[in-house]
Amino acid sequence: MNFSSKLIEEAVSAFASLPGIGKKTALRLVLHLMSQEREITDQFAEALTQMRHNIKTCQRCHNLSDDVLCNICRDPRREPHTLCVVEGVRDIMAIEETAQYRGTYHILGGVISPIEGIGTADLNIDSLIQRIAEDQIKEIIMAISPTIEGDTTIFFLSKKLADQEVKISTIARGVSFGGELEYADELTLGRSIVARVPYRAKGE
Amino acid sequence: MRLLTLKLTQFKNYTSQGLQLAPRINCFVGKNGMGKTNLLDAIYYLCMCKSQQSLSDAHLTLHGEAFFRLEGHFYKNQKRYRIVAKVQARKRKVIECNDVAYPKLIDHIGLLPVVMIVPDDTRLATEGSEDRRRFLNNTLSQLDPRYLRDLVQYNRLLKQRNAALKQMGAERRFDAALLATYDEQLLAPATYLHQQRAAFQTQLVPALQAHYAAISGGQEQVSCTYRSALSESNLADLLVAAREKDRILQRTTVGIHRDDLLFQIGEYPLKKYASQGQLKSFVLALKLAQYAILRGEKKESPLLLLDDIFDKLDPSRVRQLIELLIEQEFGQVFITDTDEHRLASILNQFTVDYRKFRVAQGQIIDAAPDEKAQ
Repeated sequence: MNFSSKLIEEAVSAFASLPGIGKKTALRLVLHLMSQEREITDQFAEALTQMRHNIKTCQRCHNLSDDVLCNICRDPRREPHTLCVVEGVRDIMAIEETAQYRGTYHILGGVISPIEGIGTADLNIDSLIQRIAEDQIKEIIMAISPTIEGDTTIFFLSKKLADQEVKISTIARGVSFGGELEYADELTLGRSIVARVPYRAKGE
Repeated sequence: MRLLTLKLTQFKNYTSQGLQLAPRINCFVGKNGMGKTNLLDAIYYLCMCKSQQSLSDAHLTLHGEAFFRLEGHFYKNQKRYRIVAKVQARKRKVIECNDVAYPKLIDHIGLLPVVMIVPDDTRLATEGSEDRRRFLNNTLSQLDPRYLRDLVQYNRLLKQRNAALKQMGAERRFDAALLATYDEQLLAPATYLHQQRAAFQTQLVPALQAHYAAISGGQEQVSCTYRSALSESNLADLLVAAREKDRILQRTTVGIHRDDLLFQIGEYPLKKYASQGQLKSFVLALKLAQYAILRGEKKESPLLLLDDIFDKLDPSRVRQLIELLIEQEFGQVFITDTDEHRLASILNQFTVDYRKFRVAQGQIIDAAPDEKAQ
């Protein structure tokens, strides 16, 4: 692309460095900003700078936060003895969207995958073990991707927590709600049958 | 089951080529390096989602081009299957069955059973155990989708475990809990793979002996034993016992990735005691046994791809083999040879339809109509 201005070119390549944005989209965004009041661009830039400089990680759950503790950890209405273990920030957002969970969270920061150089020491595991005692956690829900590496992580954590007085569960895996049985792949359907849910115990 | 038509686009040395195939025997004849084997490999690719020659997809693309495409119309159990492979540089490869792309390639394996016999097969007897494990995996993956799934899972876990051992070595610490986690996860797939391999070996021995006797006419008895540490003990104990060794060597030293098949002739190891002729006959018998087992289990005849069999056998043996194929109700067969008259003179001794394709420089220059026995 040929630019008449070096300034425009730099702004375009800054946008294009973001994931999912190509040169043409970047140019569109830049020209859009150009067509607006100068203050709007100032606010835009300010928002990014503020975010980058002042964002913190919650000391308790490692969520992104404005303060030492995030708003979930600070919320007195949350059930403090139930903990949901997730890989990253986006998982918390997804679970919060469901409005089905009232406990607190713990972000691991990934799953164990030595091939990618992620060992147990690179995840927030020590702080998790510490929290179980400090916060008197009664139940841990593992909300971790159903992959081989996710399974390794769950196995490893449950080993580490073997001598703790804490209930451990994982989120259900199987046929999705609203999905049709005949279209479920055999692995998923097989798993659903093995991990079936009791509906009515005999004689009740 | 049979292949009706095949279309190659920018595959190996073919720019664009379509073929109408005969229901029983198809012969590809031409000089060396003209592209006969590439036709067999294209058929193999449509069945197994990869090249028989363990070449990367980039090496299968016509030199200087960015993609290749293969299309085959198969007919099986009164149903047509249109299989298309689209392979592009730096993109995920796509295999379609009747216009629907498979979400996972492993879902396709086993739909179209295939056996390819190549001169290189003698490696099975002479080289390391990896080739023999590949033979086991190739057969069992076509028979049992769970086998392939568990194999993929086992290999992934093994890779992670080895990477973990390397990382621990580099950081000079040892995480027994993490290794124990991998050991626990390896257990289920390893046990299943071991069971299936052991069961396969008991099927393989009689089939191998029968085919060897038929091909060689020799008196010597051949056999094959499955050797695995898991036959002695369970994997959990083996991994615990090997842990110190694993830590020092920084890789997993015990498991089904170390399994082997031991071949014998008479009482002796095949590799050391067999003559060149016996070796070739043995390996051919092994592949035909694979074919027979696949056919028995799948209740249909796999495609049989015979690459350059005259390299393996003298003309009288080839005649015997063709006789065996025709008598035993083999399904569709694809044969390559450098000498068109040699093959034709053998085929003409039988009452069987065959079609001959002359191959030169990545083109079919002449597809003779079905030739009949004189």
